[in-house]
Formats: sequence, C-alpha cells, structure tokens
Amino acid sequence: MHPSARRSTTRILTATAVAAVGALVIAGCSSGSSADTIDKTAPKDLKGTVSLWHFFTGREARVVKSAVAGFEKANPGVTVDIHAGQDDEKLQKAISSGQNIDVGLSYSTAIVGSFCSSGAFRDLSPYIKRDKVDLSDIPKAVQSYTQYKGTRCTLPALADVSALMVNKPLLAKAGITTPPKTLDELKADALKLTTYNADGSIKQLGFNPLIDFYENSPEHWAPMVDGSWLDSKGNSVIGTSDAWKKLITWQKGFVDEIGYDKLKAFTSGLGQEFSADNAFQTGQVAMQIDGEYRTAFIKDQKPDLDYGTAPTPVMDGLGNYGSTYIAGNVAGIAKGSKHPELAWALLKYLSTNTDAQVTMGNGLKNIPTLTSALQSPKLEVDENYKTFVDVAGNADTMTSPGTADGAAYIGTFTKFWQAYQEKGGDLDAKLKKLDSDIDNANQLAGP
Amino acid sequence: MTDVTTPETGSLEARPTRASRPPASAGSRSTAPGTQPRRRRSAESRRRMVALTMLAPALAGLVIFFAYPLVASIFYSFTRYNQLQEPEFVGLLNYRFLFTQDPQIWPAVVNTLWFVVILVPVRIVCGLLVAGLLSRAKTATGFWRTLFYLPALVPPVASVVAFVFLFNPGTGPVNQILRVFGIDGPLWFNDPAWSKPSLVIMGVWVMGDIMIIFLASLLDVPRDLYEAASLDGANGVQQVRHITLPTIAPVIGFAAVTGVIAALQYFTEAAVASGVASGKATIGGGTAAQLGYPGTSLLTYTELLYQHGFANFQFGYASAMAVVLFVVTAVVLVFTMRRISVFRPEES
Amino acid sequence: MTAVSQSPLARAPRGTAPRTGRPRGRTLVWIAEHAALVALGVLTIAPIVFVILTSLMSSNQALTASILPRPFDFSNYARVFTELPLAQWFGNSSMYAVLATAFMLVSSVPAAYALAQIKFKGANLIFTVIIVAMLLPPQVTAVPVYVMWSQLHLTGTLWPVILPNLLGDAFSIFLLRQFFMTIPKEYGDAARMDGCSEWGVLWRVVVPMARPGIASAAIFMFFHSWNDYYGPLLYASENQAAWPVAYGLATFRGQHGTDWSMTMAMTVVVMVPVVVIFFFAQKAFVEGIALTGVKG
Repeated sequence: MHPSARRSTTRILTATAVAAVGALVIAGCSSGSSADTIDKTAPKDLKGTVSLWHFFTGREARVVKSAVAGFEKANPGVTVDIHAGQDDEKLQKAISSGQNIDVGLSYSTAIVGSFCSSGAFRDLSPYIKRDKVDLSDIPKAVQSYTQYKGTRCTLPALADVSALMVNKPLLAKAGITTPPKTLDELKADALKLTTYNADGSIKQLGFNPLIDFYENSPEHWAPMVDGSWLDSKGNSVIGTSDAWKKLITWQKGFVDEIGYDKLKAFTSGLGQEFSADNAFQTGQVAMQIDGEYRTAFIKDQKPDLDYGTAPTPVMDGLGNYGSTYIAGNVAGIAKGSKHPELAWALLKYLSTNTDAQVTMGNGLKNIPTLTSALQSPKLEVDENYKTFVDVAGNADTMTSPGTADGAAYIGTFTKFWQAYQEKGGDLDAKLKKLDSDIDNANQLAGP
Repeated sequence: MTDVTTPETGSLEARPTRASRPPASAGSRSTAPGTQPRRRRSAESRRRMVALTMLAPALAGLVIFFAYPLVASIFYSFTRYNQLQEPEFVGLLNYRFLFTQDPQIWPAVVNTLWFVVILVPVRIVCGLLVAGLLSRAKTATGFWRTLFYLPALVPPVASVVAFVFLFNPGTGPVNQILRVFGIDGPLWFNDPAWSKPSLVIMGVWVMGDIMIIFLASLLDVPRDLYEAASLDGANGVQQVRHITLPTIAPVIGFAAVTGVIAALQYFTEAAVASGVASGKATIGGGTAAQLGYPGTSLLTYTELLYQHGFANFQFGYASAMAVVLFVVTAVVLVFTMRRISVFRPEES
Repeated sequence: MTAVSQSPLARAPRGTAPRTGRPRGRTLVWIAEHAALVALGVLTIAPIVFVILTSLMSSNQALTASILPRPFDFSNYARVFTELPLAQWFGNSSMYAVLATAFMLVSSVPAAYALAQIKFKGANLIFTVIIVAMLLPPQVTAVPVYVMWSQLHLTGTLWPVILPNLLGDAFSIFLLRQFFMTIPKEYGDAARMDGCSEWGVLWRVVVPMARPGIASAAIFMFFHSWNDYYGPLLYASENQAAWPVAYGLATFRGQHGTDWSMTMAMTVVVMVPVVVIFFFAQKAFVEGIALTGVKG
C-alpha cells in the first residue's frame, strides 16, 4: 500500500480506537445515580409538575384523568402531566434513557421482577417507613406480586381478575340452566352450544378453546388446575407438574373435537377484542373467560346484552372453585425521577386512597386493591360484577411470580402451548424442553 | 514545502507552465517514478487535504456511526447490560445461549434464510419479466413504466396494511374473488404456512424498483447486436440467452446482492404484518408481543434482535446477535463485492 | 466519455428487444404482449383501487362483502385528521424528511465530489468503507448507537434519525459519486487552470451540471425518511407527539381494534404526498434509479 494510503488507514484506525475507548468509558458511566436517600420528613406543601405515564387509552384514560384530578384538587400546587398509551416497552425505554417520567403505571405485574431488580423503579420502603404507610389494607396476594425478592418497588393500583361469562339467552335456548362449574361440564355445554353452517364451518361457538383467543392465556386458565409456575429458586416447575399436563391434554382434546383448522378459520373472522364487535358481545361466542373490565366495555358498547357471570370452571379434584388469577396494574417511581416527593405523593394517592380507588374501580371496572375500597358502599357492584369481587377476595386466589426477566417465561409457555394445540406431539418431551428453555432464559437475564 | 508560483497568474497551484498546453487531468503527465517534482507532490498533498476536508463530516460519521458501534457491539456482546446498571462481564454466556439455547433462534434464522432464498429470486425474475415486456412495448411506455413503478413508491407500512386488509381471510376481496371461482382461500396472513408467501406476493407487487433498473439496462443493450444475431439466424430465445442476459448480468448481480442484504435484515414488513394481522390491541403488550405472528412464522433474525434488545432490554445478548449478523453480512460482502462493478472503486 | 449521460430510458429507441418472424406472428405476439401488460397493469393497480374504495365506505361496510361503497362516505378523511393527531404526524414526517435531506446534501455532496473528481491516495479505501457501511444492516450497530443517543437524552424524539445525516449518508454519497463520475474531468480541469480552488470547482462547475443527480439523491433521501418505520420505532415510539406518519399508520390502528375504513383512509393520505412528489420529479427519480445499478 502506498505510504500515504497507509497513513490514512492508520489515521482512520486511530480515530476509531480513540472514539471507541472514549465512548466505552462514557457508556460505562451509565445513567445511574447512586443510592436514593430521601428527605427526613415529608414536605408540607407540594408544588410543581409531576409526570404520570400509563398504558390506558380512550375511555379508560379519561377515568384515570378524573382520578388524577382528585389528587390535583387535594394538592392545589401540583399539576400532573399525563402520558397515556405507554406500554411496558415504552416505560422501560423512557426510564432507561432518562426521559421525563416520574410515576409509571404499568399494565401488568410482569414487570415487577425486572423493574425491581434492575432498579428501574425505586425502592419504596424508605418512603413507606417514613410516612408510616399501613399496607395491611392491601390483600395478601396483591402484596406478594408487588414486590420482588424483598424489594418493594411498586404499589398496586387496581387489579384484574377473570371469571366465566355466559350469554344467558343462548344458554337458555340450549337448555342449560346454570353455568358450568367443572371443565367436563364446560366442554359438554360448549359443544351443545356450537352450531355449524351448511358447509361445515362454525356458525356459533359455545366456547373457544384456543389458547391465544382473547383472554385465554395460561395465567387466566391456571386456576382451573391450581397450576404453579416456579419453585423458590426460580426454576420452572410447569413441565414437571401433573396439573398443567392434565389441563393441556384436556384442552387439546377439546380443540381436536371441533377441529383446529375450523377453529382457526372461525377465530380469524371474529371482531377484535376491545372493539364493539367483540365476539362475546355479538353473540358469536356464547361463553368466555374474561376479565372484570369486560363489564365496563359491555355497558359502553352493548348495554342490552343479557349476560351472566360465574367463577372459572375447574378440573375435578385439582382446582379450587371460586378462586381466580389476580394480577394488576402496578405503579412505581421511575429511577431518574426529578420530583421523587411529588411522585411518591401521587403514587400513595393512587394506591392507598380509598376514594381514588373507588373512583377508578367504578370507571374502569377494575378491582380495587384496597380491602376498604372493595367493601365501600360507594363501589358500584351489580350482580355480574359481584362475581369478580368475590373471586378477588377468595383465599385460594393465586398470581404468578416475577423474575428478573419479567414475564418472559409466561410468553415462552404460551408459545409452547400454541404450537402444541396446533401440532400435538410428545407432550412429556415438550414439557421437559419448556422447563429447560425457561431456566436458560432466566439464567441469561441474571438474578 | 515551498510553493512555486509562476509568473503568469501568481496562483499557487501546480499546472502546465505553458498556457498553450491543452487541458489535461492533473497527474496525467508521465514522469519517471520516484522523480516527481516537489511542486507536484505538494499539489498532491494539498489536493488530499482539500479532499479530506470535504470528506471530514462523512469520515467522522463513519467513525461515530459505523466503526465505533461495531467495536462497541463486540464489547457489549460479552456483557449483560440493561442500560439501568453498569454492563456486567459474563464471558461467552450470550453466545452459548445464542447457539444452543434460544428456542426462537432457529425459527428466526430459518425464516430469514427463507426470505433470502425465495423472496430475492422471485422478485428478480418478476422484475425481469415485466421489464422485458416493457422493453418491447412501443406505445405509452411512460405510462406503463409509471404504473408498474407506483407500488414501489408506496411507503412499505402502507403496503403491508393494505395487503393484510385485502387478504383478510373472511372479508377481504382476494378470498371473495377466489370464492367466486369456487376456491376456498387460505388464511393468508393468519396461517403460518401462508404468511411468508403472502409477503412474497406483496414483494412482487412492489418489484417496480428492481424492474426499473432492469428496464434501463435492457434498453441499453445495443440494437445492432440483436440485428447481427438475427442475420446469423439466431432466434429470440437464443438471442436472449447469448446477448441479453450476459449484457445485463451486472445489473442482475447488483439486484441480487442488494436483495440478499435487504432480506438478511427484513424487519418492517414482517413486523407490521404480524401486528396488523394479529389484530391484537397493543394495550400493555407493546410491539414486540406480536412479532412473528402467526406463530413464529414471520419472526426474522432482526426482529428477534429487536425483541431481545429493545423489548426485554438485554443489550448484551442483542449485541451478540448483532455481531453474528455482521459476520454473516461481511462474508456475503467479501464474496460478492468484487463481482459487482458498481461497488468497485477503481471504476471511473 | 459521453457528455453528461442521459438515462438510457430516455434516449434509447423504443422496442429494441429482438424481433421474431413474420408479420402475422408479430401481430399475435403484439397482442399477447399487450394483453399481458394490461392484465398485469390491472393486478398492479387493483390493490390501490380497493384501498381507495374502502376508505370511502362506512366502518361497518368495510368488513362486509361489498366492493363498492354505498353510499360514498368521505367522512373518514375528515375523521382521520380529527380523531388522530395525523396533522401533527404529517408535520413530524415533513420535518424529518426535509431536514434529513438538507443535512445529507450539505455533508454528502462535497464528500461524493471529493471521491469522484479529486484523485488522491486513500480515495478507493474510503469508498470501499462507505460501500460496506451502506450495505451493513442497521441492526448491527443499533445497540451502541441507541445507548449513545439515550445518554444524550435525545431518545423519544426523531433527532437520532435526523442528525446523523449531518455526517454524511453512505447511500447518498454512493449515488452522488456515481453521478459526479459521469461529469468529464475536463470541465473541472479548465476551471482549476483558471485558478479555481477545489471548492470553487465544486460549487461553480460541477454542482450546476449535476443538478439532476443531486435532485435524485435528494428525492431518495426524502422518500427513505418519509417511509422510515424502523428508526422511529426504535427512537420515538414512546412519544406519540413525535411519531411520523409511517409509524402512526402501523401502530395506532392496533390500540383498540381496527377501524378498517378509517385505516384505509389513513393509508391513502400517507400515499398521496409520495405519489404527488413522484409525478413532479419523475425524471430525476428515474435517472437516479438507473444510476444505482446500470452504469459501472
């Protein structure tokens, strides 16, 4: 190479090396600030702007806004800057890149493990201790999913539970007087309610057994068999559990009896879950497992629908009838928050103020996470909603544990189940692989 | 180095000393090697300085956005890093997971290679056929050219949204038309076996961008070659094989290489198709939740990289994936860049 | 070397492909070819027609079997602007495209000129590196670049995709260099003889002659920015106020359920500016495309 070409190459390489080293040094100094020390006493007058990021949109976002208005009224010097429509991905992006986010309200319990272990949400225990916040008003299951390995970095802000919803006229027409209580009854009733077109395709479905349909998910089905997820060390016990195996086998049998292709074709023609053509609301599906928020959507989109609710059916001898899976919205203070005291005040309001919870509960039709709110006379509870309130308070109601990888393991489980319901195969071998996949992924993500 | 000025104009640059000498490119005078006059060397280095100044922003860009990130990616690939805490060195953990443990890596690699092997040739062949047709048309060629190019103009996101709607298995026009012919159309974007072919159909619809360069190249083949071959008795097919194809081979090569590189990083169309077809509200879940729908059939390598990196915030693992992608791309480039004339710097 | 090359599409005589046989056979071939063209043309335009028709339907009708809107409902186009911040997204896309193009021109025109018209040691190496940078998948460098931008607190905006163009864009440099190389060196040399510096040659001689090529590069950059989905996904997804139209179109329709007729209206609105600009800048566009692959 000509000397000056070599010189220019050298020059370029040197520049690269210098830049690389320099930038790696910068990267090494990540956005972290050191331990969060808090003020000795809570500030008397709160003033300023605090930003709240949440995932709700549309009608539900308006409910949050009205609850927040209550906070602003109680603290006249404070304005809340709301960012709606922010899912977990965006929350993490915002926090880790140091954007202006003080309080994050997440859709799912899933992030608790990852946000607490990575520090994306700050540790709340200093604040709880200082302000002597009494957490006993929060149900035990809810308390357990809002902390991770002893670090409490979130507080609950309403929860979701699921139950069985049935279309009363359709059931009556088929001669079914009470909603099914066991899985066998569920399948029998569903098959009775399923009707077909002349060409063999499904016209109306009694119950859609596909695991990726609407709210059919391993979490919502777990109460059917009281399924467990991880052991105390964080290793997956899904594959080795008899309960899950029985449930998956039952489901596959159900799918095969109607036919996977028929179900898939029918499902792809159904309306979208949160739109007005939701299949349950249009009567195309007679029974479904859904969350309590569905009552609000029905009231808003199809108020004349005659429906009933009952606890999730369970498998004989395995599940506890009357229980459910509870998980909920969690809120925390973002790592780089510039107004931690304002954030804490807003967070405290949303999660421990009974009136705020009742307002949001009534508007979103989500389950309040304060026992006092659950029992408040101001909470609008009609006959259908009462089922959800009851199952939420059931002693056997369960949740799923967090990991540093969030809920990735549930995603892995769901993908496995989707593949199995379509293709079948050696269930034992696949379950074993599922466990090792989950354990490997958890190891990658770290403690 | 001192600069020599000539009496005529007083300028500092080297140039022929006699005004009558015809203009010639600098440096075209022959001198014995190693005996370049000082004037010429200083002019050369001055030229280089000017050139480097003009190139300075681009060079800085290359260092900051190309060279540094490559090196940094390699560094990060040996760490566990979620941007909220310091990077933590973990040795080969990421690579071990990548090559032996990630349950999604195999579908991602297979899907990506599927697009490389199927989408690229199909687009090239269709582009060639349409270009061939167009090159023979005598009337309204501008109109036809514009018409076939139009789909390539449409933003890819818009094309995907439109196609998912058109291919909706229940209510979309495509299945409705098929029903008229008595055919029970497949589930297209909702069927794992048909989702990739559906994207190939869309890829063919937008082949206008390839078609245009083929057309330009076909029209560039000298007419006399064909006439001479005709006189020699060659028929149409022989002419195509022995005249057309060899002449346009460089363009086909260019289209192939750029097509392969684009297929290796296939992201937008697959991601948007999955999101729209799944119809799932993205409330709470985020974009990454739908990547690959239906099943894992549309999960490409770069989508998996995005999921690990920017949905799960595993920057270390994503960097390991990035390094592997770089190696594969580099291998492709090393073997092909020499052959594609446009990429050879010596061309002038 | 010929004068500033015209695109072969412009100067080649029509129908230079091989001819076959007798007049009657030729007519049959002509009919077959044109029939094929018409059929393909219909297939090509059909999706766009369907999209436009659906955008004129009411939301209920969009999911039914009917092909023609009954009645023609133009309200979707108004709804698209009132129910969504589409105007803001348009503003974002425009800003992104305009700034990216302007920055690219400032940084890449001189760079391409230097590589094409100035002979200096290292030019080939730099060009090769630029080609590699151009062909490299962006995901390879995504993570460290993202970390860099987030430490500059610029994530949540479109600046991470706009600003790098100030430091050159590899594809644009490649394209511009291709074009600059078709300008004979004699022009530049004559100017140099008259005492012009290289910068002077660039601005006063080469750029005026290279207007079509520069226009092509500008148009490519404009469309590339307008159509960009991956960049905004990575950098601006958490800030709805910063979304460009491409990202808004792909994402928004997923939040509560698809209103197909409104989505199609949005699709049309997103397509229109691109088609309009194309019609005005057709020549430059086609020239630019031909340059990328045709000439060596």
